[in-house]
Amino acid sequence: MSTAIAHYQSEFERLGTLLPWQDSPQWQEWRQSGWAHFASLGFPTTRHEEWKYTSLAALEKLALSCAPAAPEAPQPTWDALKARAVLPQARHRAVFVDGRYSPQLSQLDGLPAGIAVRPLSALSARDSLGLQVPLQAVRARTPFAALNAAFMAEGAWITAAAEASLDDPLLILYVTTRGGQAQHVVNAYHLAAGSRVAVAEQYLGLTDEAYFVNQVAGVQLEAGAQLSHVKLQQEGGRAYHIGALQASQQGGSRFESHSFALSGAFGRNDMEAALLEPGASVVMNGLYRVGGREFQDFHTCIRHQSPDCSSDEYFKGVLDGSGRAVFNGKIVVAQDAQHTASRQSNHNLLLSDQAEVDTKPQLEIFADDVKCSHGATVGQLDEDQWFYLRSRGLDPDHARTLLIEAFALDLLSSIGHAGLRAAMDHLMRGHAHV
Amino acid sequence: MLIIKDLHASVGDKPILKGINLTVNAGEVHAIMGPNGSGKSTLSNVLAGRENVTVTSGSIEYLGQDLLALEVEERARAGVFLAFQYPVEIPGVGNVYLLKAALNAQRKHRGLPELDAMEFLALVKDKMKLMEMNESMLYRAVNEGFSGGEKKRNEILQMAVLEPKLAILDETDSGLDIDALKIVANGVNSLRHPERSMILVTHYQRLLDYIKPDYVHVLAAGRIVRSGGPELAHELEKQGYAWIGNEGSGQEVSSGS
Repeated sequence: MSTAIAHYQSEFERLGTLLPWQDSPQWQEWRQSGWAHFASLGFPTTRHEEWKYTSLAALEKLALSCAPAAPEAPQPTWDALKARAVLPQARHRAVFVDGRYSPQLSQLDGLPAGIAVRPLSALSARDSLGLQVPLQAVRARTPFAALNAAFMAEGAWITAAAEASLDDPLLILYVTTRGGQAQHVVNAYHLAAGSRVAVAEQYLGLTDEAYFVNQVAGVQLEAGAQLSHVKLQQEGGRAYHIGALQASQQGGSRFESHSFALSGAFGRNDMEAALLEPGASVVMNGLYRVGGREFQDFHTCIRHQSPDCSSDEYFKGVLDGSGRAVFNGKIVVAQDAQHTASRQSNHNLLLSDQAEVDTKPQLEIFADDVKCSHGATVGQLDEDQWFYLRSRGLDPDHARTLLIEAFALDLLSSIGHAGLRAAMDHLMRGHAHV
Repeated sequence: MLIIKDLHASVGDKPILKGINLTVNAGEVHAIMGPNGSGKSTLSNVLAGRENVTVTSGSIEYLGQDLLALEVEERARAGVFLAFQYPVEIPGVGNVYLLKAALNAQRKHRGLPELDAMEFLALVKDKMKLMEMNESMLYRAVNEGFSGGEKKRNEILQMAVLEPKLAILDETDSGLDIDALKIVANGVNSLRHPERSMILVTHYQRLLDYIKPDYVHVLAAGRIVRSGGPELAHELEKQGYAWIGNEGSGQEVSSGS
């Protein structure tokens, strides 16, 4: 057993009784099988195809504590967090500090009828079992999702009854204030038929020390349900962020996912949407931005398993310094998924000679009556555009920032939910400093 | 205003300009004509500060300063304006944003207060009427999806807003139908001013029917081979450029001002 596995094993044994729902055999089995799965896989190495460009060696060396913060640990004030929050005016928010739910920073009163947002720590063992439905598919997706299954203690469970709607977007904010910890958090979304939810998940690092956020999201969309989802990574300079997301979509449902990996030493996201019944559609878009020695990796997969579904995938990258990024976009169209419409593109802007991106579309199409397109580009700032702006008197730096912003912000127009789009626009403008 | 002396310039290893001499005084409009490949666009690019052109010898004095020592943006702020032959499309950057940023960069340079949004909009809308442009073009991305005529009008709109001291119009007539040409020419004419000089770079005489130059120069193989008044343009129109093959090599004529 590697030192890293041994470390997490001792954490698992140490925390055993501190993790929630100990008296539930279902959860015991869940954690045990998660642990066994992780222990058997171990930390992936670059010999593993899915991790070919992604080295975890530095993360393996860190002996991080998997215990959530003590309830009495000091917390920032909402006034301090508000300045950084993507939805500072959100009517409803769930705030977690160092892996623990903060009732005083959160505001979950007065949710619309049929909408529930519950922190995991508030759930009894019996109430919590429903959580296993949206999380079922994701827990074996990656070694880290399995590790999360073993340790998960906190997160948000969002449910919507049939036809219920939460249009005023919910903010789920995870703040990290100190180093040395590994947080295993989950977000579970279960939207019943015809319901609608808009949400922004924001991960905010307020420390320059090393820490690890190991995050999992499960999305279950019943017929006609619609989830507008923004995930925003603004992790600290030495932070590791690993996320896994799995969406299961029934007929006519729509999942709009926009990921923004804006900072952090290391980021990896494995995202999958399965279109299980006719008429389901997914938008899976994202932006990664790296500078210095930062690294971001998006491995996405869209499974067309039923006819008449559509998927749109659009990822952009801005890379400066010695930053590196990986984009792997897999589209699988099953044999009977006729009339599939699928578009994928990945465009990268390299701002320095040392920056590097590995981009790989991966289409596996078994049906014959489909429209699938894909394309990837890697380019530099357009000299003609830069010259044009300068010839009108703009500073070279200003002109450069404008062009980077224009490249990156182009993605925002695809956010269907007006409130989320406006919030991201406000947050991003003037931040394309790289 | 502008004194060009014995200017030699290369693109890559290839010498394009081989000894240009030209003096442009305040308020004058000079037309520079010549066949393809004569160096017209290279001359525009040298004046604007394009980096792919290397000046190998000679000098350019603009309002008493060494123009070649100024960066692209410094030239713009000092009042040099290039209307591009092919205006660049910049998706994601609003036309109105660029106009305002450009104007305020100049005002700042001159020690004037920046205009606020209201003042700026009033100014720009006034200028748009002159160019017969729809206000909706303000809120589109710079030149994105503009027709050829709209792009050229947008260039002259920028010129009208920035009020340069020296404007270089590079093939402004190319790709314009007669109606668009009239609008553009009308805009340019309204900007003629005793303190403003213009250089019209053009292949065809057509533009000069609408914008009357004070001087016409013929550029061939990197040199000005003839200079004269507006009548020279008509002569070119009749005879074409074929004749310059004979006198292009030896003779060198300095500017007419």
